Amino acid sequence: MNTTTPLAIDANLPPQLRDLLNSADGAAFEQALDTIVRQREQHLFRALGQLARDLHEAMRRLGGDLAHEGVSSGAAGARQHLQDVLEMSAQAANRSLDFAERMRPQADALSQNASEVLAWTSGNDAAAVLARQALEFADASRSGLADMVLSQSWQDLTGQRVKKVTAFIGTVESSLLELVRLTGALSGSESPAAAVHVSSQEDADRLLSEFGF
Amino acid sequence: MEKNMKILVVDDFSTMRRIVRNLLMELGFSGPLIQEAEDGVSALAMLRSMSFDLVVTDWNMPNMSGIDLLRAIRAEPIWKGLPVLMVTAENNRDQIIAAAQAGVNGYVVKPFSAATLEEKLVRIFERLAASGVSA
Repeated sequence: MNTTTPLAIDANLPPQLRDLLNSADGAAFEQALDTIVRQREQHLFRALGQLARDLHEAMRRLGGDLAHEGVSSGAAGARQHLQDVLEMSAQAANRSLDFAERMRPQADALSQNASEVLAWTSGNDAAAVLARQALEFADASRSGLADMVLSQSWQDLTGQRVKKVTAFIGTVESSLLELVRLTGALSGSESPAAAVHVSSQEDADRLLSEFGF
Repeated sequence: MEKNMKILVVDDFSTMRRIVRNLLMELGFSGPLIQEAEDGVSALAMLRSMSFDLVVTDWNMPNMSGIDLLRAIRAEPIWKGLPVLMVTAENNRDQIIAAAQAGVNGYVVKPFSAATLEEKLVRIFERLAASGVSA
């Protein structure tokens, strides 16, 4: 600010300020005003510097944590667990299907035999009663086995979702690896010890320049 | 409905192929005439090596999905009349429209019962008979 031309003062300034600037102490007053502005600027730079440093630190920590925890091995482990779930559920469903396939011919045979018995004995003698009971049981078993077979499609329905989650883990994994790479690149250029306290305009400027401000 | 039909069941889940096979056998179709493929690519290879009267395919599969298989089938003049029943877990309007436009003969949403499967198959073969196209 040019202190030699105190009269070239903005007409919009409050009259008190204008009077002060025009007074004998005008130069000193302007200097004091300048100092206040500089101090305010410095606060702003300090706050910005702190913010940039905090952000940088958070990114570095995040990258460090992620790299330490092993994104790749963690994701691979998660995918393996889901693969295990798929295999175990397929195994369980197959056991039920095995059972149904094993029992159906037996139900058919029982039904067939009971029908044959009923062909030569009728009425309410013991053989007929038993044959009718067997026939009923065989029919109920067949229908129950068919229901059981059908209900095994839960494995396919849940499996489809597990596969979607597996694909999602892959996406998250590649995003995290990209984040680690980025934070690693940032960490590589940092000097954290020197940047612990931002106490001056120079510190703030230096730190900000590190981030391309 | 003719029960001595050669059927190709296409699904990436072996359990689902087994379930569909069981349901078809429950409906009286012959087990030895039912073949299985795990995706569209292997289904096409099987279609080229032997003749089939019906394809029952899942929608979501790796390598080649059910809709791509359907389009590949319809692109071949010799398979123009080959009935394709689409089986899918998603009751999605867009998918149903896409399948219809690609020339699907039937669409079943999982899970389905043997009765539902029979109803769809009966309708497919009734319509084919009415249109005079033999599979």
